[in-house]
This record gives sequence, structure tokens and C-alpha cells, in this order.
Amino acid sequence: MSENLSILYVIIAFFSLGATLGLFTRGQKYHTYFTYIPSAFASFLTIILSLTIFSSESIHLTFFNIQDLFYFEIFIDGVATFFLLIIGLISFAVSIYSLSYSKKFDDKKNNSALGMLFNVFIISMILVVISNNVFFFLVFWELMSLTSFFLVIYEHENKHNLKSGLTYLVMTHLGTGFIFASFMLMYTQTGSFSFDSFRDVSIIPQYVKDIAFVLAFVGFGTKAGMIPLHTWLPKAHPSAPSNVSALMSAVMLKIAIYGIVRYLFDFNAIDSSPDYVWLGVGIIVIGSISSLVGILYALIENDIKRALAFSSIENIGIIFIGLGLSVVFAAFHLLSLSVLAFIASMFHTLNHSIFKGLLFMTAGSIHYSTHTKNIEDLGGLIKKMPWTAMMFLVGSIAIIGLPPLNGFIGEWLTLQSLLAVFQIPSNILQVSLAFAVLAFALTIGLVGATFVRLFGITFLSKSRSFKATNAVEVPRLMLIGKAILASSCVLLGILPFIGINLIVSAFDLPYTPSSPFETISITNTDGSNFASLLMPGVLVIFISVIVGIFAFVRIIGGKTKTVKYGTWDCGFGSLSERTQYTATSLAEPIRRIFGVFYKPNNHIDVNFYAKENLYLKKSINVISTTRNIFDEKLYGKVISGSLFVLDKIRKIQSGKVNAYILYIMITLIALLLFVGFGTHE
Amino acid sequence: MSDFSMLDYGLGILQALLLIVLSPLIVGMMRKIKAKSQKRIGSGIFQPYYDIVKLLRKEEIVSDQSSWIFRATPWVNFVTTASAAFFIPVFLVYSPFGVVGDILLVVGLFALGRFFTMLAGLDTASSFGGLGSSREMMVSVLVEPALFMTIFVIASFYGGTNISTIVSSANDTSILIVPGILFALIAFFIIMMAETGKIPFDNPSTHLELTMIHEATMLEYSGKSLALMEWSHAIKQMILFTLFVDIFLPWNFAEQISLIGISFGIMLFIVKVSTLASFIAFIETRVAKWRLFRVSDLIAMAISSSMIGVIFFFL
Repeated sequence: MSENLSILYVIIAFFSLGATLGLFTRGQKYHTYFTYIPSAFASFLTIILSLTIFSSESIHLTFFNIQDLFYFEIFIDGVATFFLLIIGLISFAVSIYSLSYSKKFDDKKNNSALGMLFNVFIISMILVVISNNVFFFLVFWELMSLTSFFLVIYEHENKHNLKSGLTYLVMTHLGTGFIFASFMLMYTQTGSFSFDSFRDVSIIPQYVKDIAFVLAFVGFGTKAGMIPLHTWLPKAHPSAPSNVSALMSAVMLKIAIYGIVRYLFDFNAIDSSPDYVWLGVGIIVIGSISSLVGILYALIENDIKRALAFSSIENIGIIFIGLGLSVVFAAFHLLSLSVLAFIASMFHTLNHSIFKGLLFMTAGSIHYSTHTKNIEDLGGLIKKMPWTAMMFLVGSIAIIGLPPLNGFIGEWLTLQSLLAVFQIPSNILQVSLAFAVLAFALTIGLVGATFVRLFGITFLSKSRSFKATNAVEVPRLMLIGKAILASSCVLLGILPFIGINLIVSAFDLPYTPSSPFETISITNTDGSNFASLLMPGVLVIFISVIVGIFAFVRIIGGKTKTVKYGTWDCGFGSLSERTQYTATSLAEPIRRIFGVFYKPNNHIDVNFYAKENLYLKKSINVISTTRNIFDEKLYGKVISGSLFVLDKIRKIQSGKVNAYILYIMITLIALLLFVGFGTHE
Repeated sequence: MSDFSMLDYGLGILQALLLIVLSPLIVGMMRKIKAKSQKRIGSGIFQPYYDIVKLLRKEEIVSDQSSWIFRATPWVNFVTTASAAFFIPVFLVYSPFGVVGDILLVVGLFALGRFFTMLAGLDTASSFGGLGSSREMMVSVLVEPALFMTIFVIASFYGGTNISTIVSSANDTSILIVPGILFALIAFFIIMMAETGKIPFDNPSTHLELTMIHEATMLEYSGKSLALMEWSHAIKQMILFTLFVDIFLPWNFAEQISLIGISFGIMLFIVKVSTLASFIAFIETRVAKWRLFRVSDLIAMAISSSMIGVIFFFL
């Protein structure tokens, strides 16, 4: 235990070292190494720390205790360890990536600030996860929010980024407000700020726990980007430098998931109270809506980083579906199904961290070498940046949930837990959860389309602009950072039990860990096999089929010639990059089918050479737009409503001294009355 | 379930090979039936085999715009569909590889193949390929939920997504004629037509690229690659037909391994699949291809049909 603790000190020391060195080596030649090597080392130690805690006991310590009110208490249990592992793994890869990536800002910007904030951001996330009392949890939560805010507005020359940063700042504090309210409510019941007292289930009445959970869910949900509180996410994530967006999307959203898991399974200690059925169903509904709406926006987005940010909303939705199902099953005493759904949700949490970190880093690489995020300007990058293309392909296959990568396992487990809803003894619930299956299935289909579009338009066919034509492969360190996560995708896909065992031991689930080559198997009550999956077996079948068909083609077909020739152009002469399908036209059929949601509008302007002759057209200009119903209907209304109210309130501030004296007098009288009547014993 | 003998695995491989080898025959048969019903003579039913062999020996022309994705796609397609064939019971009531993967894995493997096909369509920088990919994207987005809902109904009724479990419980029980399963049948039939590119959705034999969906994505292929693409498409169709007869017409599977049982099973399987194929070929000659944006209505019908199936199961 003391060794683990010293590892923790070293981690904190190294992140601090990275942060300070970053500031002091400003302008030096090798300053990126001074900043990011300590952070890479500390992240690596975080992985080691979490792996050692898995095999030993948890850490529980209190520091500088001043009158039981102001003290720092850490508690690293399995739950914290699981999230520490996510932080460590992604930060390690991103730190290595940043060694080269941050050179992009040399000469242009204050690079040392980026390095400093980067280190502080990671350490604040680690400290949030290990804090065990309200005060320090909120302090580090706020530190995390503020450092990420400064990182979002790092490129503040761009007015657009400032605006996104402001949205982020407002929304994240709205969320913190809800979390704060929830903690205070718990405090009124327990009289202590320590999380240990919150775990004491018996002293808190059920309805208080429910209200506290709903408040916390809204608070953490805002940070996780659930619909309809998602609005900051697609603005903030793309505005930040790509290494930071990778951290924000892959790790920071998971800290919000950590908060929800902590509340649900630690403070609230799910039991079979009927309240939990409705809490669970609420989480599933929000999860389904988030996943569907998130991916629908991602599908038509032309900014690659924004599309990835929207896809994060979708994945958070899938995680919520799993969590909600777990709560519902537990409420009906279906313990093994509850465990299954929980494993599914945590597996997807781990997966999403890995592939979203990977995808944001590749998006950063594309921006690094082409200086554009608009996929309509890209194309043909697979020939210019073959390794980056490979990584993006791995990330896409993983995120769509195709075998044999890790995304498939997560979605398979989620679907299996959704398919098990027929065991819930309530018809209404069963039918309504069938709609969740529908939403989930539609989401999976749409994710496929989204990533075909992102990969296809960005990397394949001809380059659509000079930016893409002049692209070159990114430096090796950036590729190594991505390769770490890409290989994790493959590893977790082929040997899913590595991930499942981690989850089982982290959350202390009633389930024995088994060897990595085991079959995932779900059995019916009568002993027949409901479903099973053995990924190494799938790989064996793959390899035998490949060998078989290679041999067959070689024997029957023999050696044949392959000729390179231009793409068939119907005999009209060479095809140009303008005749290719564009990103917008590729998504057009889907945009049309889901027209109710997108409300697409094509505005066509035709200019004629002469008004009399409508056949000779000078130019045709098409502006194709879609509308964001959330921004228009919800946020527009809220903002205009609050402006209206605030405008009315402003009339109080008349600027006349007499009026202010009157206000003072009214307040005094009111207070006197309150004191006079209020405390009658 | 896990203690299978070598004989079991041998028969499992035989089942998969049967699907892979017989798949071009079904294609040839359907073409013949379509030709006959259109008062044409048509080519012989073995023509697809000759085509594959011929194409394998021809030189291949690859677009100079394309990347390794374009060249890898036929192989990926073949490997995914042929691997999926291993999980399908054909004449036995189970597949010994049933523990390795379930129907969701089969759907996932098809999706992997389609993912690469759509990318290959975009890879050649031809607008026909893009057009095909765009439409394939639209159809797949809609077919996916229909398929999952149908699987949901079937899994709920037959207690599993493991195909062996589904087929063996469909084989024992006589709950075929219940409303839930009938609605699932309608949905699965529509999905099958959409996935294999049959006429109300797609017309692969047309000469006008503008009306194609699936064929447009593989327009640039030739030689070995084209052979593999065609063949894997045939296997996919065969697998879907087999799944259909396995789930909805599950009579007389060989439950014990015996020579008579197996040979009878194989014969019955061929009869069932060819009846289904003839029926679909007949439908294809009787309906016209639907306008692209009406296709979504038909798939929406499949989705709602399977939703009704779900509700019937629960009530």
C-alpha cells in the first residue's frame, strides 16, 4: 500500500514538473520534451498504479485534517482505479502524440501555456477521481473545467473559438451547480462532507436519494454531453487543439460517467425499490435520444472534429443505455442481467475512450498536415498519409462496432442486455424498451454511414483542394501515439476478456474472472445457450478462410496480370476532382429521409445572362442548409426568455438614490418580520 | 454444447463448404427462372461457375486513382461472408461453430464487408461509385434497425441469438404459426430482398448505372476481384436464404449424425432453398423496381412489422 502511495506522489510530482518546466523553458529549442515527457512518464505510472491496485487493496487516506471540515481525503477503490486506467492509457498516448503535435504552434503561439495547462488538466482529472470528500472533489472538478476552458480558447485569435469557450464555461458551471446542489442535499441528511458518510445508505431516506441522484445526473450529464444539455460539446471539442480534444472527448467525458457510476452504485446502492425502475428507464430514454440525435448530427457534419464530437454524444448515449438497463434489471432482482448490462456499459466506456482518443488524434494529424478540418477540401489522403489513414480506418471499424475490433464487443454486450428485456416482468416496460432497441439499432446503422462518409471523403478518391494535394505524413511520434491506441482496439477486440476481467475485478462484480481465451457465453434458465462469442475462434476461422481462398484463387486462376488504368469515364475524357461525390451529396439520401429532423432547405440562385432568355444561365448557386432544432427551439427560447425577464428586472436599477433607500427600508422591514415571526418556539 | 467430436467439426466445415459451393448454383437457377418467365432461353444454371473460373484467369484492370482499400475489398468481402457461413446450420440442427459466434456476429460480418464495399465505391473517384455508396449507405442505415428488430423477435421467441439454439428450438416447437413469428417472417423477407439487391430495391442486371445500388459500387472491378465480389455476393444471398428456411421452415433437420439423416437433410435443404429462390425469382419478374425514395417506405414496413412482432411476443 505504501508503495502504491509513493507511486501516486511520483505521478503528482511529475505532472507538476511537466507543468512548471513547460512554463520555464519557454522559447527553448526542446521545450516540448520538457513538458510532455514528464506527462507521458506520469501517465505511464498511472497505468501501473491502477494495475497494482487491481491486484492489491484500495487506498484510503486523510491529509491535513482541520476540524473535520477542511481536509483532503483520498480513496482509490476499484471504481476509481478503472477510471484511473482510462486516464493513464489515453494520456500516455496523447502525451507522446503531443511531443510532435504541439510543434505546430511554435513561432505562432505561446507554446508553454499549452504544455502547462495540458499537465494541469490531466492531474486535475486524476485528483477528481481519487478525491473522497465534497470540498476537494468540487475544487478539482472546477480546476478540470477551468483548465479545459483555457485550452478550448487556446487559439483565441479565432473569434469562433472564444464564443465556443464561453458556451462551454456557462454550460459546465450550470452542471457544477447541479452537482453542488446534489452534494448539499446529501450533506443536509448526513451532516458530513465525506463521501464515506454518503455511502451509509441506511440513514438517508429514499426520496432524498432520488432527488440527489437526479440533480447529480443532470450535473454530470451536462459534462458528459447528454441531450439536450449537449450544446457546448460540439462547439468546445473542435475548438481546442486536437491533443486536448482527444483528452476531453476520451477522458473528461468519462469523468462525468465516473460521477454517475459513483452516485448510482456507490452512494445510492441500487436495490429493488420501484423508484429505481423509473430512474433506470429515465436514463435509458435519455441515452437512446442522445445516441440517436448525436449520430444524426454527426452524419451531416462537414467539419471532421465536430462530427467526432457529435459522435461522442452518441457513444455517451450508448453508455447510458447500458447503465440504465443495469439499474432496471437490478430493481427487478435480475442480478446476473444487471451485471451483464453494467459490464456492457463499462466496456463501452473503455472502448470509447480508446477509439475516440485515436480518432481525435488522427483528425489532429489531418489538420496538422492540411490545415483544414473541412472534409469537403480533403480527399486522396490515403496515398499521402498511409499510416494515418490506417489508424483512422482502425478507429472507424472499432467505432462502428464491426468485428473483430473492440467496438463490436461493447455493442454486442449492450445488444445482448437489451435482448434480455423479455425477462422483466412488466409488459409496458418490455414494449417501451423495445423502442430503445429500435433506437439503438438505428444508431448503429447511422454510425456506419457516418464513418464511411468521414473516411471515404477524407482519405479516398482524388484530392479536392491544394491543401490535400500538398499533405505529407505526420512525424513518427504522432504515429506512435496513435498506434498505442489502435493496437489496444485490436487487442480488446480479439481478447475481450482482458477488458471484462478488468471491469469485473474493478467493480467487484459477482462473477469470476476467466482466462482471456474464454468464450463469452450467456445461458438460458433451462441451460441452453442464449448467445456466445469466442473472438479468438472467429480469428481462426478468418485465417483459415483467407488461406483457403488464396490457395483456391492461385490454383484455379494462376498468375494474372494487373494493369493500372484511368477510372472509366464513359468516354468523355478525364474525370476531375469536381465530378466526384462530395460529402454533402453522399449524405443527401439520408438527409432527405430524416428530413423531419434535419429540416433541410436548398436555396437555389440562378443568374441569367439576360432576363428575356431564361435558357442561358450565367451561374447557379446552391446554398444547402439544415436547421438545428435544439439551438432554435430550446436554447433560443431559453435565452430570449431570460433576456426578457432580466430586462424587466433591470427597471429596479433606476439610478435614483431615493429608490435605493426605499429598497433598503423594505428589506429591513421584511427581515424584521422574518425574525419576529420565523423563530417562534 | 462444447464437447464436439472431430466428426462434428468435419460436418460443420462441410455445411459451410456446401453454402459456399452451392451459392453460384442458386444464382444461376434464379437467372434461369427469370429468363424462362420472361420468355427468354437464358444461360444454363451452371453459368455463374463458368463466369467465376473465367474471371479468375483474366487480367485485372485497376483504377489508377484507387488505393489498397479498392484491392483489399473483394478479399475482405469474401472472407467475411465465407466466415459467416460457418455459423449457419444447413442439414444438421446445429453448427458446431455455434459457440464461436451468434447471429449478431453474422450481421456484423456482413456489415464489415459492406463497409469496405462502400469505401471501394468511393475509392475510384468515379461518380458512379459514389452514387452507389451513397445509396447503399441509405439502404443499410434503414435495413440495420429492421434486421435487429427481427432478430429481437426471433431471439425472444426461440430463446437466444445463438443460431444453433434458434434452429433447434424452432425444430422442436410447433409455435411457427403464431402472429409474432409471422410478422418476423414478413420483416425478414423484406430485409432479405433488400440485402441481396432484389428488384423492388435494386436491379443488378440493369445496364443503366443510374438505377443501380449495389452494382454501382463494384462497377470498376474486373478479373479476380470481380470474381470474388460476385461470389461473396452469392454466398451472402445463400446465407440469408438458408437462415430464412432455418428459422421459418425448420422441418426435418438431422438431429443425430447418421448417413441417411444427413443425406436426407441435404436433399431437403436443397429443395427448400431452391423453392424459396424460385419464389423470389418469380416475384422479381412480377414487380417493377421502386423509385429510390419509396424504398425507405418498404423498409419502414419491415421495421413496423417486426415491432408488431415484438408487441405480440410481450402481450
